[in-house]
Amino acid sequence: MSKAKHIFVVIVLSLLGITMVINLNKIPGNTDQINFIYSHITNNAVLETGSLNFVTAILYDYRAYDSLGESTIIFGAVSGIVLLLSRKTLPVSSHGLSFIVKRTFGMLTPFIFLFSLYIISHGHLSPGGGFQGGVILGAISIIFSIVYGSEFDFKRYSPTTKTLLETGGALLFIGLGLAGIIFGGYFLENLRFLNTEIGSLLSAGSIPLINTVIGFKIGAGLAIIFYSMIQKTFKEEDKL
Amino acid sequence: MGIRLIIAYIFMGGAIFFAIVTTIGLIRFPDVYTRIHASAVVLTISAVMLSFGVAIYVWEFYLSIKIMFVGLIFLITNPLATHAIARASYRRKIACPEVRSVDDYSKYLGRDRE
Repeated sequence: MSKAKHIFVVIVLSLLGITMVINLNKIPGNTDQINFIYSHITNNAVLETGSLNFVTAILYDYRAYDSLGESTIIFGAVSGIVLLLSRKTLPVSSHGLSFIVKRTFGMLTPFIFLFSLYIISHGHLSPGGGFQGGVILGAISIIFSIVYGSEFDFKRYSPTTKTLLETGGALLFIGLGLAGIIFGGYFLENLRFLNTEIGSLLSAGSIPLINTVIGFKIGAGLAIIFYSMIQKTFKEEDKL
Repeated sequence: MGIRLIIAYIFMGGAIFFAIVTTIGLIRFPDVYTRIHASAVVLTISAVMLSFGVAIYVWEFYLSIKIMFVGLIFLITNPLATHAIARASYRRKIACPEVRSVDDYSKYLGRDRE
């Protein structure tokens, strides 16, 4: 039975591989259209968006609608993981690690928070942005629950706060898109009210705002994923 | 070649030597705790010496300060991670020998619980 299953899996995988190879040949190569987009972005992106980082300019200005889709995917993933995993029990200690680790992370955690804020707020100037800084923000909650115990995490950074941050981030992102319709002409248009000199911190229109919103949303979402994995254990240890 | 570059190369060479010692220790030592000892002592010294050497090699004020901060982070976090791993594997009784002559850490662990 298992041998038939293996043969079936091999046949399905090889069919998928053959179709992928056939269809990958149809992707257009170095055509005029791609060259036009490439030269347009490399020549005009700094003047059109005000962002020095081209990746951020594409992600949050030209293709901001795709970023909205990505953050919606993460929202759906968080909802599914909370639905599936909140009943499992995993062994996690509630009183944390030793004294040395607690003191050292007491010194290090403010700097981790500062670094994540730096990556989020300088997303239009240097490598980084909302998603990357948000992952570091989510790591802070994981440090709280592993090093100081999940009870500390529950008291200091409660699930209500995480839910508020995540849904608030998503709502603010959509609100920025609607503000683009009202003040400009189309959904998620760059609102040009932070236009100081190119290369300074308060430039590039609505790109820093979208970065901040996405950063807090992703950080809270990852914290919710981690918390939903250890939630039940914390309550059971509380009874003992 | 100035005297500054020679000092920087001496630091980097020491770092390379300690890194090689780390690798030999990781391969040759028998169990968890001795391997942790080899990697911790030696990798901390190696990373800090390498950042010192690079900071002397670059020799600009703000750049050198940043590299020294990277070395400081290594100096803080590397013994910390080693301590956490060794303590966790001791409490889970991983690779503990049956007969031992001295065991001070089990007495210490009773006080440190909370």
